[in-house]
Amino acid sequence: MSNHAVLTVEEHRELRVRTERAEAFGDGVMCCIAMPDEFRRVQEDYPILFRLNAERDSFTALAMFGLQEGENLYLVDGRWDARSRPLAMEIQPFLIGTTSDGAAKQVHVDLASPRIGDAEGVRVFDEDGRPTPYLERIVDQLGALDSGYQASGDFFAALRRHELLEPLTLDVTLDDGSSNRLVGFHVIDEERLRALDPAELGELHQEGHLLPMFMALASLGKLGALVDRKNWQLRGG
Amino acid sequence: MDQAVTRIVIVGGGTAGWLAACRIAAAADPGAATPLSVTLIESPEVATIGVGEGTWPTMRGTLEQIGIKEGEFLRACDASFKQGSRFDGWRTGAPDDWYLHPFTAPVESDARTLINSWRDHPDARFADVVTAQARVCARHLAPRQRAMPDYAGALNYGYHLDAGKFAALLARHGVERLGVRHVRDHVVAAEMAEDGAIAAVSTREAGTISGDLFVDCTGHAALLIGGQFGVPFLDRSDVLFNDRALAVQVPVAADSQIASQTNATAHSAGWLWDIGLPSRRGIGCVYSSRHLSDDAAAATLQAYVALAAPEVVDARSLTPRALSFRSGFRERFWVRNCLAIGLSAGFLEPLEASAIVLVELSLDALLEQFPATVGALDIHAQRFNDLFRYRWDRIVEFLKLHYALSARQEPYWREHRDPASLPSRLETLMTLWREHPPSRRDFPQMDEVFPAASYQYVLYGMGFPVPEASLIRSGGTASLFDQVAQRGRALVASLPGNRTYLTALAAAERPLAMEQAS
Repeated sequence: MSNHAVLTVEEHRELRVRTERAEAFGDGVMCCIAMPDEFRRVQEDYPILFRLNAERDSFTALAMFGLQEGENLYLVDGRWDARSRPLAMEIQPFLIGTTSDGAAKQVHVDLASPRIGDAEGVRVFDEDGRPTPYLERIVDQLGALDSGYQASGDFFAALRRHELLEPLTLDVTLDDGSSNRLVGFHVIDEERLRALDPAELGELHQEGHLLPMFMALASLGKLGALVDRKNWQLRGG
Repeated sequence: MDQAVTRIVIVGGGTAGWLAACRIAAAADPGAATPLSVTLIESPEVATIGVGEGTWPTMRGTLEQIGIKEGEFLRACDASFKQGSRFDGWRTGAPDDWYLHPFTAPVESDARTLINSWRDHPDARFADVVTAQARVCARHLAPRQRAMPDYAGALNYGYHLDAGKFAALLARHGVERLGVRHVRDHVVAAEMAEDGAIAAVSTREAGTISGDLFVDCTGHAALLIGGQFGVPFLDRSDVLFNDRALAVQVPVAADSQIASQTNATAHSAGWLWDIGLPSRRGIGCVYSSRHLSDDAAAATLQAYVALAAPEVVDARSLTPRALSFRSGFRERFWVRNCLAIGLSAGFLEPLEASAIVLVELSLDALLEQFPATVGALDIHAQRFNDLFRYRWDRIVEFLKLHYALSARQEPYWREHRDPASLPSRLETLMTLWREHPPSRRDFPQMDEVFPAASYQYVLYGMGFPVPEASLIRSGGTASLFDQVAQRGRALVASLPGNRTYLTALAAAERPLAMEQAS
């Protein structure tokens, strides 16, 4: 259940948000959405896979944290073991909303989030009602996430136009002998990408889509790292 | 071959004895051909003083080396965080007369650059602009979040603690986890070898205990260094006048704020300490018996408690514990195979809490170049004595500085300003500091007990004139302190209150302890 509210000084002057990384705070997730304009940073730590929505009419990109539902292999010893996290994880429990007339963007907060309401959290407003540096950073990140989202439509359209996504089936045999199968995801079809003619590649490059495509391809090297993390966890590390 | 130093015998428990036992035992290599053995002999008859309730940031490293988890330490010792000291009324005694000496050094380590920038902020308190810690202390916030790794902080910090519980924790840890042999017995005599070293100590019940190195942690009694070796005590009460203290403990409300610093409030002939722990406050009146009668000191203490701790129904009903002491130290601390650590080595009045840190520094020095053979002991002793003579002298000077800068008019304070009572090196430095801010140049040793930053905090907190701009150019920017302000905002937003932190810690660790017990 969520409980979204518009963030205001009047209502939330004393609001505190827990910023530690733990399952108890909602970080026990297998993946989160990633925007094409953050692929470069995301691929340093995580594999990026694509998934078709339920209506089978659009794709989203996902940064992968685990091999099964509810599993985040980056949560180790009470911390998130990576250099950075995708914006969609960073901004929680905040969201982008719009004013009732739809004219302007607002910061919303999910008051039902486990991150809310603890005396130990980080303050959102200071004693004088000014946004704290923490909220200032969140606002920047919400802005980046929003502009990344706005720009992502063209990217996915280009992938479809050139039929550059292919289904992925990944069979993993873990050190303990058990096998895991990752299904329902897509990856960029490297063969087809290579086979595009120079004019098509030039166009993709001009529109800024080529770099995130190669970043997504490069990120697949991190699938092995994810399996390593799983094996390490199985060994009780 | 020369005889190896393998049998360490510590005479005396208490904070010093148990810190020594734990540090040495934890540092010993268990895989050595002849591993070190650590024996601590503690008399069941002698009560420990247990007054030192403030530590320095060094204690974090000490506890980590000993192998105690921070949460365990905080809970077991009823401890809280100490981020520095606040001095009220030391300059004039006026209501707005206070300053902070925080543990975090100023944002800029180059003294001239710092002071050039500071000159542009004539109305702001020094500590307020040079470190974010002042804002955090003013709001009773903790220096760290619970999710941080043990002993890491957003700001530099030490602890306030219950000294009795601390010694008990160390004893438990030392015996159960570090293999320290604990002998509960009274030492009656030392047996001397022909070469003038101690061969063994004889006890009332447990017989004779021989050793290669004897650590004298017998407190004021100084059984070995004083009683056996007769090393003279160098009295420094001509510089530091305080010689008595009255101490009380005051209960606190369960949800009250816990101060982030030791509060030290000046009075007509000394000062009052006020140390907040989760379950109580320790308050005491330090004074000079030459300048204040015991009754007047008791009245000063009562007046303070009535004002500062109104939750106590009747301040007059409290029965203070009376302590007397002399500020000073031994002429030598290490003689042959006997090393004095703790009160046996010396004691200076409790200002700036130098007692426990000297124990830690002594153990650092011992372990860094641990004597391997009995034959080389005198060389180690000489080096140790030189180093610690320097350190005790410098601490005396730093404590004196707190008094020497005052403009208070009572006889006690006027006498403190008498040049005849100033150590000569301090007098020279105070003259120099009219031209140059305290800098590394003034503190040439590798590990100075109090760095230049501490002198800057006291000097400019007490209103010492800021040196004129030098004819030699140096850096300094008005924006230097903007980053401090920005960091302060971020820290105030993200750090929990001391009470919040310690309450959450107690709640979080209880089930864990129960699991371990079952």
